[in-house]
Amino acid sequence: MIRIENLTKNFGSVEVLKGINAHIREREVVSIIGPSGSGKSTFLRCMNLLEPVSGGKVIVDGHDLTDPKTNINEVRTEVGMVFQQFNLFPHKKVIENITLAPMKVRKQTKEAAEAKAMELLKKVGLADKAHVYPEQLSGGQMQRVAIARALAMNPKVILFDEPTSALDPEMIGEVLSVMKSLAQEGMTMVVVTHEMGFAREVCDRVLFMDGGVIVEEGAPEQLFKNPKHERTRAFLSKVL
Amino acid sequence: MDWSVIVEYKSYFITGFINTIMLTTVGVLVGMVIGLVLGLMNLSGKWWLRTPAKVYVDIFRGTPLLLQILFIHFAVIPTIWESMGMIPPSALFSGFVALSLNAGAYIAEIFRGGIQSVDKGQMEAARSLGMSHGQAMRYVILPQAFKRMLPPLGNEFIALLKDSSLVAIIAVYDITYAAFTTAKNTWERWAPYLVAAAMYYILTFVLSRVVFWMEGRLRTDAERSEQP
Repeated sequence: MIRIENLTKNFGSVEVLKGINAHIREREVVSIIGPSGSGKSTFLRCMNLLEPVSGGKVIVDGHDLTDPKTNINEVRTEVGMVFQQFNLFPHKKVIENITLAPMKVRKQTKEAAEAKAMELLKKVGLADKAHVYPEQLSGGQMQRVAIARALAMNPKVILFDEPTSALDPEMIGEVLSVMKSLAQEGMTMVVVTHEMGFAREVCDRVLFMDGGVIVEEGAPEQLFKNPKHERTRAFLSKVL
Repeated sequence: MDWSVIVEYKSYFITGFINTIMLTTVGVLVGMVIGLVLGLMNLSGKWWLRTPAKVYVDIFRGTPLLLQILFIHFAVIPTIWESMGMIPPSALFSGFVALSLNAGAYIAEIFRGGIQSVDKGQMEAARSLGMSHGQAMRYVILPQAFKRMLPPLGNEFIALLKDSSLVAIIAVYDITYAAFTTAKNTWERWAPYLVAAAMYYILTFVLSRVVFWMEGRLRTDAERSEQP
């Protein structure tokens, strides 16, 4: 689904990603963990080229994003993204947030887009909030709308950039449970997270990043119970 | 003080009143088009779009409007028209051009500030959904930027209304020129200028009320969305 080859990224003279190789398979749920500043969010943002890469290749569903001939907008319709700060459109009602891209990018009719949006809002438990503005929602509700907005494009994979980090503790559960049900339906997901419980319980594979490289990867039980690397052990001992 | 001169010269004042409104309105409307284009150019990643926009804004903001009016009326426009073998148009036309170009520079900065004030995450969210840069601007960034631009745009409108009096220097029949001519012809010192001042004051007062009202309407957008 997503193949990353020797990816590097510099911010000026600072090397944030130092040659990353990874492969996200279809229907796989992968979480990326690691200390702050390890480059995990940057890595995720390179997967839809929201962050221009400095070197290497990012191949999504057969399209090489680093090739200038690739239509990046078209690829992005297949790659949903959910942000830490939600980034809902504050000037649009909840339902308009969800229907905007399907109507303008996919050229769906208003009726079709709204029907789909209502279905998605039911799925995330917010059908009654369709006609309010985002500012009237709680953080957890906003993030569930953001997930519905990403789903409205029928993406093949969704990238989650610390989706629960900006939430009050009592709202984290509602967002994680929506993500969990998506995982169970077979959505391909890449999740940068600090929620070790989620990584452990829901993910097929966990990547541990530190200092701009993937230090270790493996199935959750293996990585959490039997980390091979000293750095992984040190990190886990602090967060678990 | 002899108020009868106002009645005698009332056609001057009526023409002046209409011309001032037209000059300001055209100036702001054309200025908004120029300003939007320049503002977007200014935010572009391409230097060959950014540089001309910056130079334009710097020149028009860095020199006096009065000088720009003289320059455009006596140098730029005659040169262009004569090179095409035509007679230069009226001073009123020069006034339209000068005020529009000048307002464009100021409004460009308002647009730039408005667009930059929208959170970076908005563009990212729009692009992540597959929208092009243009679509993201049109449907996501600009609608939010416009709201924030309204107060400074209103101020610019009011400032331009008052600055439009400078076109009197090239004998455009605006409020100021009507007062000046009346005073000159009648030797009445006070009444013409007092009437002109009152006219400007009424216009700016009404304008500031309109801006205030529009701001209020935009603010209640969210409130009107209460669930049915």
